[in-house]
Amino acid sequence: MDKKQQYAKAYRQEAEEHLQAIEEAILDIEENPDDTEGLNRLFRAIHTIKGSGSMFGFDDIAAFAHHVETVLDHVREGTIPVTSPLIDQILMARDRIKVMLDASDDDDDSGADTETDAKIIAALQKLLPEPADAITDTDTDATLQLPDQDEALNEETVYRIRFSPHASIIADGMDPRLLLNELREMGGCSIVANTGAIPALDDLEAEKCHFSWDIILTTHSDINAVRDVFIFVEDESLVNIRPLLDTPFETDEMQLSPRLGEILVDKGDANPEKLNEALDNRKKIGELLVASGAISPDKLTSALTEQTILRKRSSAIIADSVRVPSAKLDKLVNLVGELVITQARLTQIAGESDAGTPDKAELADPVEALELLTNELRDCALDMRMMPIGTIFGKFRRHIRDLSAELGKEVELVTEGAETELDKNIIERLSDPLVHLIRNSIDHGIHAPEEREKNGKPRRGTIRLSAAHRGTKVVITISDDGEGLDSGLIREKAIDKGLIAPDAELSPDEIYALIFAPGFSTAPQVTRVSGRGVGMDVVKREINTLGGEIRITSEKGKGTTIRLTMLLTLAIIDGLLVAVDGRRFVLPLEQVESCAELNPEHLASAKGRDMFRVADELLPYIRLRDIFGITANSRSFEQIAVVKAEHFRAGVIVDEIIGNVQTVIKPLDRIYQHAEGISGATIMGDGAVSLIIDIPGLIRCVRREEEKMLAYGNPE
Amino acid sequence: MKNTEITETAHYLTFRLQDEMFAIDVAQAREILDLLPITKVPRMADFMRGVINVRGSAVPVVDLRLKFGLACAEDTIETRIVIIEIKADEETTILGAVVDSVHEVLEFKPDRIEASPHIGKRWRTEFIRGIGKYDDEFVIIIDIGKVFSTDEPLLVQEIENDTEVSEPGEASE
Amino acid sequence: MAKVIMTADDAASVRQMVSFTLQEAGYEVTEAVDGQDALKKINSLTIDMLITDMNMPNMGGIELIRKVRAIPRIKFIPIIMLTTESQAAKKQEGKKAGATGWIVKPFRPEQLVAVVKKVLG
Repeated sequence: MDKKQQYAKAYRQEAEEHLQAIEEAILDIEENPDDTEGLNRLFRAIHTIKGSGSMFGFDDIAAFAHHVETVLDHVREGTIPVTSPLIDQILMARDRIKVMLDASDDDDDSGADTETDAKIIAALQKLLPEPADAITDTDTDATLQLPDQDEALNEETVYRIRFSPHASIIADGMDPRLLLNELREMGGCSIVANTGAIPALDDLEAEKCHFSWDIILTTHSDINAVRDVFIFVEDESLVNIRPLLDTPFETDEMQLSPRLGEILVDKGDANPEKLNEALDNRKKIGELLVASGAISPDKLTSALTEQTILRKRSSAIIADSVRVPSAKLDKLVNLVGELVITQARLTQIAGESDAGTPDKAELADPVEALELLTNELRDCALDMRMMPIGTIFGKFRRHIRDLSAELGKEVELVTEGAETELDKNIIERLSDPLVHLIRNSIDHGIHAPEEREKNGKPRRGTIRLSAAHRGTKVVITISDDGEGLDSGLIREKAIDKGLIAPDAELSPDEIYALIFAPGFSTAPQVTRVSGRGVGMDVVKREINTLGGEIRITSEKGKGTTIRLTMLLTLAIIDGLLVAVDGRRFVLPLEQVESCAELNPEHLASAKGRDMFRVADELLPYIRLRDIFGITANSRSFEQIAVVKAEHFRAGVIVDEIIGNVQTVIKPLDRIYQHAEGISGATIMGDGAVSLIIDIPGLIRCVRREEEKMLAYGNPE
Repeated sequence: MKNTEITETAHYLTFRLQDEMFAIDVAQAREILDLLPITKVPRMADFMRGVINVRGSAVPVVDLRLKFGLACAEDTIETRIVIIEIKADEETTILGAVVDSVHEVLEFKPDRIEASPHIGKRWRTEFIRGIGKYDDEFVIIIDIGKVFSTDEPLLVQEIENDTEVSEPGEASE
Repeated sequence: MAKVIMTADDAASVRQMVSFTLQEAGYEVTEAVDGQDALKKINSLTIDMLITDMNMPNMGGIELIRKVRAIPRIKFIPIIMLTTESQAAKKQEGKKAGATGWIVKPFRPEQLVAVVKKVLG
C-alpha cells in the first residue's frame, strides 16, 4: 500500500466518522433549531470532508460537499432558517456523500451519478437566499466569499499592482497563482505575466520563479484588503500596490486615460528621455520602446492592458455625462429659440394691454417669471452646444506639417486658448476657412528658410493660432512672423484688376482688405496651395455668414495677423427689426450703432458715393429698397440705422425701424448660398419668415455696384 | 419590353403646370400645402420664390412653372406648394414647389410607361423618367432630383415664341 | 536533534499525511486533534514549529495561534496555518494572530516540506 492509498484510506475512515457526526448533528438541529453548537459541528464536518477530500483525490466528493457547505454557511449566518426541507436536503446530501465514498472504496464507477448529484445540488441551491450567488459551478476551488456589505457600498478603486515574487517562492511552498486567484476574487482583475526574466533553457532552474506580474484590479475593497493578500509574502517579494483612481468620479477623462508612454514612465518601466526619443519618431510608442530595448514586450503588454482598462473605465465614468446626437441638441436649441420668441411676444402683449384691466396686474408676475426662466433655459441650452475650439486645432497641425514639407518651408504652429468654447455649429464651419487662412500664411507669409535667414529671421517660421473670449464674442487670430503684406503691390494689383480706381484713397487696412476681394491674388505664381485667388473671398463670405468679421493687419517685414471676431453662438441673436414695403428684415444688433429719422437734408453726394451726414461726419448709405430691388410703395419719410462692420461704417435706409427682437437663426438652404446680403432667416412670432441681413455682405454688394458704375464712367 | 428605367409599379403624385400634367414619385412628396406667404429672398432668380415656414424651418420655395421655363402665372386658389424631399450625396434637401394645382395619386405599372416623350420635342429628356397615360392624357413623370440638380430653368428645349421665360441665373434688378 | 513539529488538525487524514511527509523529511512530528489538545500537549513538550488547521472543534486555529504566541517558551516558533482557498479572509486574521505563513489546501507533500524547510531554516 503506497502512501497515497494510505491517505485515502485514512480519509475514508475519517469521512465515515464525519458522516456519522453529520447525521447526529442534523438530527439534533431538527429537534432544537437553536443548537448552534450542533450547527458548528455539522459545518465543520462537511468542511473537513470537503477540504481533505480535495487533498486526497476525492475531488467529486469535495465538489459536492462544497454545495452543502455553502448552504450551511448561510444557516450559520442566519440567512437561511432551519426548516424541515433543509434538514431533508442535508440528510439526502449526506447519504449521497456516503454512496460516493463507498463507491470510491471499490474503485468502481457506481458512485458516479451526475444526475442525482445535480438534482440534490439544485435543491440545495433553491434554499439559498439569493439564487444569483455564484454557486452554480461545480469547481472545487469556487469561492463562497460573500461580498461584505460595507465593501459593496464602497466606491470602486483601481489598483495597479506589481508583484515580483522572490525567486524561491515556489521552492518555499508558496504558489503565487493562489495570490493571483485571491485578487481575482476581489473584483475585476487583469493580470499580465512578465516573462522577460525567464532565462534560456540551459540556465533555467525549474524550481525558481522567474515571473512577475502586473495586475490591474478594480475592486470595492480598500488598499489594506489588497495588501493582506500578500501578507505572507511581502517581506521577500516585491509587492507594489498603488491606487490609480482614488476618487474616480472627480477625475476628468484625460487623467483617466493616460497615454501609454505616461503609464510606462509612471511605472518606472521607461524613463522620460527614452519616451521622448520614441515620441519624436512618431511611431507607435510602445513598439518603439520595445524595439529600442527600453522595455520588454511584457511590460508593453502590461501597460497596454492598463490603458485599455482605464479607457474602458473612463468611458464608463463618462456615462455620468450623456452622449446626445447633435441633431437632438440642435432641435432643443431650436425649440428654446422658438420659446424665447414666443415669450418675447407674450411679454410685449402683456405690456401693451390696458393698464387699468385687472388682468394686467395678474399677468405681470407670471410673465416676468416666464421671462427669467426662458432666459435661463436659453443660456443652459446654448451652453450644452459649446465646445472647445481646440477640437479642430489638431487637424491644422497636420496640414501645416504636410504643407511646409510640400513648399520646402519650416513652420511651427503655436496654439493658444484651445479651451476657448464656442458653439459647436460655428466650430464645425470655421474649420475650412481657418485651414485656408493658415495655408495662405504658409504660402505667402512665411518664406523659404534661406530667405528668412537672409532677413535675419529664424529659419523656422511660426504661425500662432489663438482663441480668446472677448465679451460675447470669440476672437481668433492667425498670425505669422513672415514678410508681411506689401501694400504697394496689393494696390497695384487691385488697380490692375479693376478692383479700385487708380486714384482711390485707401487706408492701409482698406488696402489689406482687398485681398479678400473676389479674384485677387498676390502670389507671383499661382500655386496649387493657394489656388488662383479663389478662396480668400470665399473665406470672408463664410465668416460673414457665420455672423463673424474678418480683419487683417500687417507690418512689412514683421508678419501678418488675421483676426476673426466670431459670435459665441449662432442660434439666437439680438436683432433690430426693420421693414421695407411691409417686408421685414433683421439687422444683427451687434452691428447697429444708432438709429435715426432720415432727414433728406442730410443726404449728400461725395466722390461718387451716396453719403449722409451724421454728427458732423459723412457716411455712405445703402437704401435697402434699392439694393434689394423693391420698387413698390416708396415712402416719403424713411429711417436710417448706422451700422458698423469690420472697419466700415454705413447707414442703412429702411422704411421703418420696428424695434429690437431676439431671433433664432435658421440657416438658408444651399440653393440660397449665393444670396448676397442675407445670412439666414428667422421665424417671427406670427409665423412669417424674415431674412437676416449680412451687413458685410451687403456692403460688399454695394461696393460692387459702385465699381460697376465707376467702370461705366458714370460716377453719379 | 422594358423601355424605361422604371421597372416597378409605383404611385405618382400628379399635378398641373400650364396645360401639362406632371407626376413625381409619391415617395418624394412630403406634403401638400395651400399657398402661404412666401418671403422673397432679394437678388435671386425669379423662379426662386423665396422661403416659407414649414413647422419652424425655413424651406426654400421654387416656382416650378418658371423652373421649367413655362410662362409665369398668377397664383390662384388652386395653387399649391408641394413639399419635396430630394436625396443627393447623403444630403437631404427639402424644398417647396409651387404648382398650378395638385391632382390625384396614380398607379402606373412599368409596362404602361413609355420611355421617350413622343409628345413634341420641347421637353429635355434627361429630366424625364417616362411618359404615362391617364384618361387619354399624357402624364410626364419627372425626375425631381435631377430637376433641382441645376440652377437653370429646365425642360423646355426649344422655346416657343409666345412663351415668356425668365433669364437663367441672377435676376437683374 | 531532529526538530519537533506539531500538526493540529481535526482531520485524521491530514494529520497522517503531514506526519508521514515530515517524518520522511527527517522531522519529528506530534499530532493534536484540535486547539485544546494542542495546547495541552505543548505544556508537556517543546515544539519547534506548529502547523495548524483553522476550523477545528473546541478551539480553532486562530485562538490556538494567539495562545501559543503568549507562551514565552515557544512564542517565537514558526506557525503555519492550513486554510482552504475559500478562507482567504482567515489569512489576515491568522497573520494578525501571529502566523508565519500559510498553506492552502489542497497541497502536495513537496510543498509542505518546502515551507517547513524554509521557515525552520
